[in-house]
Amino acid sequence: MRSILLFVFFTLPTILLAQEKYAVSGTITSAKTGETLIGASVRISGSTIGTTSNEYGFYSLSLPKGSYTIEVSAIGLQLKQQPIQLNQHIVLNVSLTEETRELETVVVKTTGRRSITNPQMGMERLTMAETKNIPMLFGERDVLKTIQLLPGIKSAGEGSSGFYVRGGAADQNLILLDEATVYNASHLLGFFSTFNSDAIKDVTVYKGGMPAQYGGRLSSVLDIRMNEGNNQEYDVSGGIGLISTKLNVEGPIQKGKSSFLASGRRTYVDMFLKLSKDSALNKNQLYFYDLNTKLNYQLGKKDRLFLSGYFGRDKLGVGETFALQWGNGTGTVRWNHIFSSKLFSNTSFIYSNYDYKITIRSGSNDFDIFSQIRDVNLKQEFQWFAGSRNTVRFGVNAIYHTIRPGEITASSASYINTSNRQRRYSMENAIYASNTFKASDKVNLTYGARITAFSVLGKGDYYAIDTAGNVTDTFSYKRGEIVKTYVNVEPRIALSYVFNPTVSIKASYVRNAQNLHLVSNSTTGSPTDKWVASTNIIKPEVSDQVSLGWYRNLAQNKYELTVEAYYKTMQNQVDYRTGANVFINSDAIESQLLFGKGRAYGVEWLLRKQTGKLSGWLSYTLSKTERKIDGINNNNWYNARQDRTHDIAIVGSYQMNPKWTFSANWIYYTGDAVTFPAGKYRVDNQVIFYYTERNGYRMPTYHRLDLGATWQLKKRKKYTSELAFSLYNAYGRENAYTIAFRESKEDPQKTEAVRTALFKYIPSVSYNFKF
Amino acid sequence: MQSFHKKYKRFFINKLQSFFQLRFCHSLVPSLLRATKNSSTLFTQPIATFLFIALLAITFSACQKVIDVGLNTAEKRYVIEAVITDQPNSCKVLLTQTRNFDENNVFNGVTGASITISDNSAVPVTLTETSSGVYEAASLKGIPGHTYNLTTVVAGHTFTATSKMPALVPFDSLYISERTFFDKTNKYATLSYKDPAGRGNAYRYIQYVNGIKEKTVFVRDDDLTDGRAIERILFFFTDDEEEEEKKKLKTGDIVTVEMLSIDYPIYKYWYSLSQSSTGENQSATPGNPVNNIQGGALGYFSAHTSQSKTIVVP
Repeated sequence: MRSILLFVFFTLPTILLAQEKYAVSGTITSAKTGETLIGASVRISGSTIGTTSNEYGFYSLSLPKGSYTIEVSAIGLQLKQQPIQLNQHIVLNVSLTEETRELETVVVKTTGRRSITNPQMGMERLTMAETKNIPMLFGERDVLKTIQLLPGIKSAGEGSSGFYVRGGAADQNLILLDEATVYNASHLLGFFSTFNSDAIKDVTVYKGGMPAQYGGRLSSVLDIRMNEGNNQEYDVSGGIGLISTKLNVEGPIQKGKSSFLASGRRTYVDMFLKLSKDSALNKNQLYFYDLNTKLNYQLGKKDRLFLSGYFGRDKLGVGETFALQWGNGTGTVRWNHIFSSKLFSNTSFIYSNYDYKITIRSGSNDFDIFSQIRDVNLKQEFQWFAGSRNTVRFGVNAIYHTIRPGEITASSASYINTSNRQRRYSMENAIYASNTFKASDKVNLTYGARITAFSVLGKGDYYAIDTAGNVTDTFSYKRGEIVKTYVNVEPRIALSYVFNPTVSIKASYVRNAQNLHLVSNSTTGSPTDKWVASTNIIKPEVSDQVSLGWYRNLAQNKYELTVEAYYKTMQNQVDYRTGANVFINSDAIESQLLFGKGRAYGVEWLLRKQTGKLSGWLSYTLSKTERKIDGINNNNWYNARQDRTHDIAIVGSYQMNPKWTFSANWIYYTGDAVTFPAGKYRVDNQVIFYYTERNGYRMPTYHRLDLGATWQLKKRKKYTSELAFSLYNAYGRENAYTIAFRESKEDPQKTEAVRTALFKYIPSVSYNFKF
Repeated sequence: MQSFHKKYKRFFINKLQSFFQLRFCHSLVPSLLRATKNSSTLFTQPIATFLFIALLAITFSACQKVIDVGLNTAEKRYVIEAVITDQPNSCKVLLTQTRNFDENNVFNGVTGASITISDNSAVPVTLTETSSGVYEAASLKGIPGHTYNLTTVVAGHTFTATSKMPALVPFDSLYISERTFFDKTNKYATLSYKDPAGRGNAYRYIQYVNGIKEKTVFVRDDDLTDGRAIERILFFFTDDEEEEEKKKLKTGDIVTVEMLSIDYPIYKYWYSLSQSSTGENQSATPGNPVNNIQGGALGYFSAHTSQSKTIVVP
């Protein structure tokens, strides 16, 4: 708290210098649905003065007394101009209407998606409407797969919803759904993400220069906001696809004031199994579902309450003998309060849970395994639109984590012992403050810091471990006793220099600390991967990233060109020892781990066209990411698996006429760094492979083309529908998914490498409707 | 249609396997799930069959191909396979070297090494080379509870290893169990024994069917089963149907199972070998197994007890 005060004190002089000014403030919404708009642009006609709406659609702009024309715009919506007479603080709520298809060809004037002046860099924002036409595997729209098409964000593998940002690991992405952490964002073997795109409004990803309000992960922040629900009219929409069926219902509770939303999705591969008469077969389960709900109430003019929830589950079962289920559940209560035209407050209470359960019932194999991570999280944030030059954001955050690493419950008939790993408790507290300061017409600066204190708490045993991984000492702590507190000061600095309204350069430095680590023995990610909190031995991971960027808007903001370069170092990285027991019957997980560091650097290019009949982007990333872990690769630097030198994505969609829209993506990247054998030997009369270096080889280059077409069917009164076709991997490239080595089946005297490719030409069709 | 099953299975099973890296499940779970491959054969209703096949055909059309990846060569390393058991004439060391990937699988023995073994720091016994690269100490018989030290000197290199022979855990019985997965009921060899109280016991089981050794590494510790009466089913997993048909137990087959009580570091060796060194589609990063030989040789030195039982599959 003291440092917040100091910080505010530090910023005060610049604020007091301001002349007599009034604020125009309000909320920006969509006229059609009443949804608030995030990141909408609000500017003064004929000047460079402007701002953008915050996560709740609120904006505030301080101006000297006078008359102005306010221009409000957002992607996909019509620009609106509103003259104002400013001689007192005024409230101006603006609702924007949709761009009609006919208009789309004539509207030229639009604001860039990205603010040239805002020092924020390393950020990408997507609205669901823009991702609608991108062809996807099985025709299943997926935000996590869409962001993988952006520079600096790499796919975890064929068809995977997992991703890596700027050389970081998969667990270094903070994935938030309405502010709640989603610990495992994948469904069904990683092929789908937990985010049902019908329920999502906006996706913002930060690859660098993370604002001070975010913390806890090294590589990125993926901030996903759910729709609030249409407060103007009832809406039912849905889709029937190859893999899943979706239904979305929303509408006003009180028109214009409050609304609800419920959105569900379920896959039905197993429904085919159920059709079978065979009882051994129809008892099998293989499905997942998601349920998103949200309620929001306008409580008077100054208060708004949001309740949102998500629940998703995967179930996989083989008869009655084996079952695995896993899923996330989150709940968020948020209260927005507008103290004044200059002070906006949000209070959030967040619950987040991830767990999995394995059930085995097979004779004397009769037991359950349960594991869970659960957060209770309280956040208070203020946004203070201090003047025309300063926007201050500050807040506090406290999260209580409970991790249940593994609990085995066995029946008496079982030969497995009932046993529970000790629960792990920790408290993650943070305070942060930042100020975006408009130093001059040319220079903008955002400076701030986040201070986190992570306390490992009892009750539990903690250990001393030797270099071989053996426990040498045990320390017991009582309930609530502090085992260790790690304090990290994370400066966040960003600067922009505007050459002219269409060209700017930006630079930033950010430090991030991470106290929850996902230890995974698999390269693809699995629901049974373990989240482990920092302990006396596991230190917080820390990253420092500097980046430099050049931004240019071309052809009246029709095109945006961005070039960003970054250099990042990572400390206290965690990896498993070779042959680690992933499920050990010991609370000393550290005995299975190794620690080291990482570094990553690269340059990212993005050229984007966002208006007109043809829209899309071209992205290219040139990068390198390496690790140096004590005990791996003779302690030398080696390429991280996701080190892909070149990564290209071309995404385009063309609206031919109101009926037909065509789209295509082309993806190309250098194969992953992998470990292949250097030789072989014989043990116990069978061939065993011999390895000399970690990730010394490359998978073959990956590339594929996806095609899509959307056919808008005839409108009947309110009922609209469309058919969406897609073809994944259109030219049937056999991309290597794995390369395995074995004794040749034809000639056992030889060994051979076998490449497995997963998806070759995957057509799909889905029918979407709305009424 | 048959090929769809195969593709589906390969894709699905490999993927699922990587999901279940739980140690005690590592032979059980894939086997349980393996059966998913047979799903489509079971559909009796034409419509369901059609839909399902259509879905699988496009969804899981995984394909495999033998390719040339151009592997580098590496400096040769010595490989020591050394065992001593509680049976007479059981002390045997095989000394070989690594070969390049492209060479054939003929691993010639390395001759002329000087290998000694000592029992509880008694005077070391020198092994004699009985054939090329095979070294034996005929008179020696291991004793449970004793620690053995092995020293190998070859071409100026010295490799040492230590292994403690655990107490014998009686192999109570061997029988055949049946397990049904989807439509198929297969027979599996099953062992029963009582794990002694106190953690740290580890076992390896070797299965021979009509004299042919199963390649699957069956290895367990007692981390989660300490002190219990164990019923261990030897599930094994094949990656194509032809092979499965060939390998599954049939009436009249003679099954021999050797049960070894092994030293814990040897358990680590076999476990890490099965996880990361067999070259198969694995999710874990490949690497050399964690071994107990000092000096830089590959392989292992295991002092273990050995018991065998044989049964005719009913």
